[in-house]
Amino acid sequence: MRAVYRVLAMLVAVGVVVQAAAIAYALFDILHKADDGQVFTKDSDNAGIAVHAVVGEMIVPLICLALLIVSFFAGIPGGVKWAAITFGVMVLQIVLAFVGFPVPILGTLHAINAFALAAVASIAMRQARVAGSPQTSATVAA
Amino acid sequence: MKRSLKIAIAAGATVAILGPLGYIWQRSLVPTTYDMAEMGYPDYGGGQVAGHVHRGGAGSSGAGSISVAALTGPSTGDPEVAVTLTARKEKSGRYTLNGQTPGPEIRAKKGQLVQVTLVNDNVTDGVTLHWHGVDVPNAEDGVAGVTQDAVQPGHSYVYRFVAQDAGTFWYHSHQVSHEQVKNGLFGAFVVTEPVFSEGIDEVVQVHTYDGRRTINGVAGESPLPARPGQVVRARVINTDAGPLRAWVTGAPYRVVAIDGRDVHGPTDISDKSVTVTAGGRVDLAFTMPSSAAARVDVGAGAAVVAGGTKATNEPTGVVDLLTYGTKDAYGFDPAKANRKFDYRIGRKAGFLDGKPGLWWSINGHLFPDVPMFMVTTGDIVRMTISNSSGEVHPMHLHGHHAVVLSRNGVAATGSPWWFDSLDVGDGETYEIAFVADNPGIWVDHCHNLKHAADGLLAHLAYTDVYTPYKIGDVAGNKPE
Repeated sequence: MRAVYRVLAMLVAVGVVVQAAAIAYALFDILHKADDGQVFTKDSDNAGIAVHAVVGEMIVPLICLALLIVSFFAGIPGGVKWAAITFGVMVLQIVLAFVGFPVPILGTLHAINAFALAAVASIAMRQARVAGSPQTSATVAA
Repeated sequence: MKRSLKIAIAAGATVAILGPLGYIWQRSLVPTTYDMAEMGYPDYGGGQVAGHVHRGGAGSSGAGSISVAALTGPSTGDPEVAVTLTARKEKSGRYTLNGQTPGPEIRAKKGQLVQVTLVNDNVTDGVTLHWHGVDVPNAEDGVAGVTQDAVQPGHSYVYRFVAQDAGTFWYHSHQVSHEQVKNGLFGAFVVTEPVFSEGIDEVVQVHTYDGRRTINGVAGESPLPARPGQVVRARVINTDAGPLRAWVTGAPYRVVAIDGRDVHGPTDISDKSVTVTAGGRVDLAFTMPSSAAARVDVGAGAAVVAGGTKATNEPTGVVDLLTYGTKDAYGFDPAKANRKFDYRIGRKAGFLDGKPGLWWSINGHLFPDVPMFMVTTGDIVRMTISNSSGEVHPMHLHGHHAVVLSRNGVAATGSPWWFDSLDVGDGETYEIAFVADNPGIWVDHCHNLKHAADGLLAHLAYTDVYTPYKIGDVAGNKPE
C-alpha cells in the first residue's frame, strides 16, 4: 500500500508537469497558426487544450481520490493528512481554473497553485518514502 | 489501536466517499435508447398541469395524445419551391450538400409552399435538416430523435412547409450537429416579401472552416457588386459557435431585421458594430455612397467589398439592441403570462453520462436531470434566462420567436427585439416572453453546439404532444 501511495502521489506531481507542457503547446500552436492566417474561435480544436481538460478534470482528480483512499490503508504517518491536503489543493486548482474564464487575471492564480499542487504531492510522496525507510519502519509498524 | 479496528475505520471512510460518488455516477448514466420527452422533470411554470399524465416514477412528459409525426406541414399541393439536397461526407472530412459547402442558397417568397428533399448519400451517422429560425410545424423541425429519425445513407426525407415569415434564416443538420454543422452541413434560407424590391440583396453567410473565417465559403474579401445610390441589404448569418461583430464602412447603416423579424424604426448607425449571435441573423441595410466604395466586415479579415474600400479598425462601440429602434406593439401582453420559467445556466462539478468534469447545469441540475418546460397552446410564457457559467451562451429556442423584455433588470425601450437566438453573456439575465402557438416538442438549447452536446439543452413541450421517436434507437439518433 505504501508503494501504491508513493506512486499515486508521484503521478499527481507528474500530472502537473504534463498540464504545464500541454498548455504551453496550446499557446504556441495558436500563435503558430495565427502566423498562417488562422483565427482562434469557439470552434477551434486545440490538442493542448483538449489534453489539459481531460487530464485536469478527469485524470488528476481520479488519482487524487485514489491517493486519499489508499492513504486510509497505507498506515503512513501523516499519509492521510497529506493525501487530504493534496486533494484540497486539487479542488482549489479546478476552482481557480474556472474563475479564470470570466476574470482572466485570476487565471494566474491557477498557474501559481499548480506549483502548490506539485509541492504537496511531492511531500506526500516523501512521507511514504520516509515511512518505508528502515529506521522508521519499525516504529510505524508498532 | 487494534489493526482490525484501523482497517474497519479505513474501510468505513472509503465507503463514505465512494458510496455517494458511485451513486451519483450511476444516476448520471444515460440509457442508450430513450425518449427525450421522458428525461428530466416537468416544470409547469406555475401554470396548470391539466392535460398531462405522469408516466414513470421520476416524472415525465409527452404522454399526450398528439404525435409529433402528425404535426406536419401541408401534405398536399404542388410546392412552389422544390429543392433536392444530397448530403455527402467528403474524404477531407467536410460535409457537402449537392457537392458544395455552404449548401445551396434557398430562396422563397413569403407564403410559398417549400419542399426540400434531403438525400443522404454516404453520411454513416445519418443526417437531418433543421430550419433554423423558421417556425415550421414540429414534424418539419429536423431534430433527430425528437421530430424524426436521422436519415440513413441511401435514404431520403421530405420537408414541406409554408414560408410564413419573410426574413433571413438558415438550415443545418441536427444530427451529430456539433460535428456536421462545423464541417459544412448547412446553407442559407431566405424568404423575401412577394413584391419586387430594388437594390442588392446579398447573403453574407459567415462560417469558420479550419481556422479561416469565410463569407459564403470564401475566405478574406469578396466583391460586392453594388453601384452608387443602390440600397444594399446584407443578410449576415452566423453559422459558427461564437458571437461575431459586423459593421459597415463607407456609409451609415441600419439594422433592419434581427433573426428574420423586422426592426421597427431603425436609425442610422456609424462607428458602431452589431453583435450577431451564434446561429443568429442580422440584416444590415445601407445606401451605396456616390464614391461606390463601401464594405461589410464580419471580423477576422472577412468582408464583402465594393470599390476597393480599405479595411478599417473594428469600431469599439456596439449597438445595444435593447434601445435600438422605436417601440411597437408585441401583439400580446407579457403581463398576462400564465407560465413563468427560469432557465439558469451554471457550471457544476459532476458526472455527465458517467464522465467526471465541470459541466453546464440548468437550474442547478446536469443533463439529463433538466427541466422539461411544459405549456399548452395559447399560453403566454415568460422565461428568465440567466448565466453564471463563466462563458457566453447563444440560446436558441426552436419553433418560436420570443421578445426581449429586459436585460439585467433594465426594460427594453427600443423596437420589439424578436429573436430565436440570443447571446446570453456571463453574468447577464434576460427576461423574455413568447406565445406558445406552435404545438410540439421543441429543443431549447445552446447553439454553441459542443455545449449542447455537453448537456446544455432543455425542451419546451406541449402537454398534449408525445414523440414516437427516440434518442439512440436503430436510427442512431444523436441530435447534438
